[in-house]
Amino acid sequence: MNAPVLIVGGGPAGLAAAHALSSVGRPNILVEKMDRLGGAPILSGYAKLVPSGEWAKDAIGGMVSRVMDNKTTDVRLNTTVKSFDGQPGNFSAVLNDGTTIAASAAILTTGFTHFDSINKPEWGFGLFPDVVTTTQVEQMFSSGKGVHCPSDGRTPKRVAILLCVGSRDRQIGREWCSKICCTVSANIAMEIREELPDCHVYIYYMDIRTFGLLEQKYYWRSQEEFKVKYIKARIAEVTSNGSQLIVKGEDTLVKRPITIPFDMVVHAVGMDPNVDNLTIASIFGVKLEPNGFIDRKNTYGIMGATNREGVFVAGSATGPETIDDSIAQGQAAAMSALGMMNIGMAAE
Amino acid sequence: MPIHEKHLIRPENIKSHDKLVMDGIDISGHWSTFIETRVVKDYNESLQDEIAALPGGEYVHRCWQCGSCTNACTVNAINPDFNPRYWIYLIRMGMESELLRDKDIIWQCVSCNKCTYVCPREVAPEGVMKATAHWLELKGHTPQSPSTIFDDVFSTQVIETGKIEDSLVVRNFFQRTGQSLTQDWLIEMVKRMVAHLPVKMLMALGIATVLRPRTKNWGGARDAIKEYVAEQDAHHRKALGLESLVEMAKLEAAAPFKQAAE
Repeated sequence: MNAPVLIVGGGPAGLAAAHALSSVGRPNILVEKMDRLGGAPILSGYAKLVPSGEWAKDAIGGMVSRVMDNKTTDVRLNTTVKSFDGQPGNFSAVLNDGTTIAASAAILTTGFTHFDSINKPEWGFGLFPDVVTTTQVEQMFSSGKGVHCPSDGRTPKRVAILLCVGSRDRQIGREWCSKICCTVSANIAMEIREELPDCHVYIYYMDIRTFGLLEQKYYWRSQEEFKVKYIKARIAEVTSNGSQLIVKGEDTLVKRPITIPFDMVVHAVGMDPNVDNLTIASIFGVKLEPNGFIDRKNTYGIMGATNREGVFVAGSATGPETIDDSIAQGQAAAMSALGMMNIGMAAE
Repeated sequence: MPIHEKHLIRPENIKSHDKLVMDGIDISGHWSTFIETRVVKDYNESLQDEIAALPGGEYVHRCWQCGSCTNACTVNAINPDFNPRYWIYLIRMGMESELLRDKDIIWQCVSCNKCTYVCPREVAPEGVMKATAHWLELKGHTPQSPSTIFDDVFSTQVIETGKIEDSLVVRNFFQRTGQSLTQDWLIEMVKRMVAHLPVKMLMALGIATVLRPRTKNWGGARDAIKEYVAEQDAHHRKALGLESLVEMAKLEAAAPFKQAAE
């Protein structure tokens, strides 16, 4: 029971779990397949986070350095787990560099994969360069280049943000709501209006889910202070007339088909299960829920427990999740792991 | 094939030809009925600002579409197409083409102001209706009608003289609407008036026709009213991106034209 806790994935949940374990002096190993810690907010170059408004590189960067600076966490970059065997308190994991490590427990914080808009071809991504994703717009802000049309670099005069791209879409097998895209889109819309006051932003939605306290700060504020326009519509396709993009669909409130020209169309991409989830599930012997996210054993019992004792899960590995909740879950999973080991040691 | 959403089809979009031959095939009769496209092609991004620039429309941006105005509306109870909430939505989203489809009913607001009292956001929907009717007029979407001409003749005279001389209003109205003053019914009416009205009143009428009554020292008030009206009009037209009346008058003065009204 004295072996370190293995944490798989260095995003917000993994960083929170590592910090939680280190703060009570419990050795842990943080395994990250990429060359940097930080997860999606850092790797995908997010700009200002919702709802804090802090830059991702500052907010998540702070979490990264807190973990990097603490010797209790053994950070392994460019590393994946190849096999994972044993019993709670006495696991052994083989890493991709061939080394074998002992672990008392494992916390899976393997995150999600951004929906690839190529899978929604009728909405023009991949066909027209000025159809971009929310991730790309985040990068335009975080890189300091500002919002521009990729085709010729001009600043757009009119932008459409399409919600639920790869979410709530039975047609392509994505039945879940990705939770954060409405709020992120409202945030992006306000940022665009702030940077380009002459650029009008339209959000095409089927429902707006700026849940909880985000309603006032994002949904209403974007309309009342930033004049962002919300159009309830079903979008059929995005085409081009040669110089501009044409959004075709039906305005479901006005009950009328629309074909509106835009300079730029933004896909508010959803959160898919991590593309590696089948591999992760077979290595760690955990079940996936029907949509392909890692299944939690229960809701009200041991936080973050999976079907395999001693293996916990946290963050967006379990389904679409906010950064805040991922951090909370990471910490909760760390607590669950500590609790399990405490019981184990008492039994020894 | 049955048409499932008939309510989406506007009568003006149904086109039929008595005789139609396509590719040598005679498709006259009901075969030649077509439904024209009914697509919204663009947004007018300045529509909300334009309405907000007109008196009454100032608070249109506050609306959060609760529908209390339409629920309270006197006219909506009679005509379900009279829907202030919907028009406010169209204005806010810039759907000018859809708004124009209702141009013949928007002005029917009776200004009962029930909407004003129920509105939780103090949008003053009655004011928005007024502003919208005004907008339609300024943009030339509502052609002159006998009633608008009468209003114009009436108010012009009040502003000019501070008084109303009925026979002059009637004569100017008839002139501007191209109606003859020697219509049978009119002659008959004047005859009967002469026969039945008290002599004193007839004399007063006769004198007023020749010596037009004026309010004493009206000139200062007239100039102030005219200046204010011109100023407001210029202000509103500018907000709508239109030429001011003064500019239009200059253009008209450059070209020969005959002023119909006195």
